[in-house]
Amino acid sequence: MNVEYINPFIKSTINALSTMAFVNPQRSKLYIKTDFEQTSDISGTIGLAGEATGFVTINFPEKIALTIVSNMLGEQMKNITPVVKDAVGEIANMIAGGAKGELIEKGYSFKISLPVVSIGKNHYTNYAKENPCIVIPFIIPEGEFTVDVVLSRTVNIA
Amino acid sequence: MKFIVIDDSSTMRRIICNTLERLGYDDVIEAENGLEALGKLRDIDVIFTDWNMPEMDGLTFVKSVRASQSFSTIPIIMITTESGKPDIIEALEAGVNNYIVKPFTPEILREKIEKVLRK
Repeated sequence: MNVEYINPFIKSTINALSTMAFVNPQRSKLYIKTDFEQTSDISGTIGLAGEATGFVTINFPEKIALTIVSNMLGEQMKNITPVVKDAVGEIANMIAGGAKGELIEKGYSFKISLPVVSIGKNHYTNYAKENPCIVIPFIIPEGEFTVDVVLSRTVNIA
Repeated sequence: MKFIVIDDSSTMRRIICNTLERLGYDDVIEAENGLEALGKLRDIDVIFTDWNMPEMDGLTFVKSVRASQSFSTIPIIMITTESGKPDIIEALEAGVNNYIVKPFTPEILREKIEKVLRK
C-alpha cells in the first residue's frame, strides 16, 4: 500500500484534535474500506479537486463527537445539534487543509471544498470504486473514530 | 479596539471570539462571509477572515477591502485551513497583513495581533 499521501492526514488529524479539542488520538492499523464494514453517527466530508482528486471524511460515533465538540467550545454538548454539526465540518476542514500543505510538496495539488456533514445512526459513506478508500482508525479514551482518505493523481508528475 | 471575525463556521467564530475575549479584546462583531462583512467595517481596527466561505470568499473580500477608499488600510489577518505555500503567497499578495493556519493556539493569535498593531 502506497501510504505517502496518508501520513499528512494522520498528522493533520492529530494536530487539529490535540490543538483545538485537547485530546491525543492514538493511530491504530490502517485498512482498506469494504462495503458497509464501517459506519458512524456523524461524519464530515471534504472534496479534494485539482491535479489530485478525492475525499477525506472523519467519522464519529455520537459519544466521541460530543466529547470533542464539548472540549472545543468549553461547553457541554448533550445531543447532536447544529453547533455539533458545524464543528464536525470544521474539523474535517482542518484535516484536509492541514494535509494540503504537505501534499503539495509531494505532487498532490488540489483545492478543498466546503464541508458536507452527514448525520444518522450507523450511516455509511460510499465512494466511487476506482480508487481504494484507506481508513485510518484513531483511539481516544472514549472510544474509536476513523478518517477515510480517497486520493489519486489526475495529472502525471514528471 | 474593535475587531470583526468573518467565518462561515459558527464554531470557529465562537472559538476566535472566546480567544480574543480571553486576550482582553471584547469589542468584537461577527460576519458569516465576505459580503456580509463589507457592510460592517465602520470603526473596525483589525479584520480576521477565513478563506473558504460561500457568497464571498476571503480572498475576494480582501481584494475588495484593499480597493475601497474608506477601509483600505485596516490590518487583515487571514485565519484559514489553507496551509499550502502558494496559498499563503496568494493571500499576502492580495493584501493580507498576516496569516494563521487553523488549528491555532491563543499564543499564535496574540502574537499575530501584536505584529499587525505594531505596524
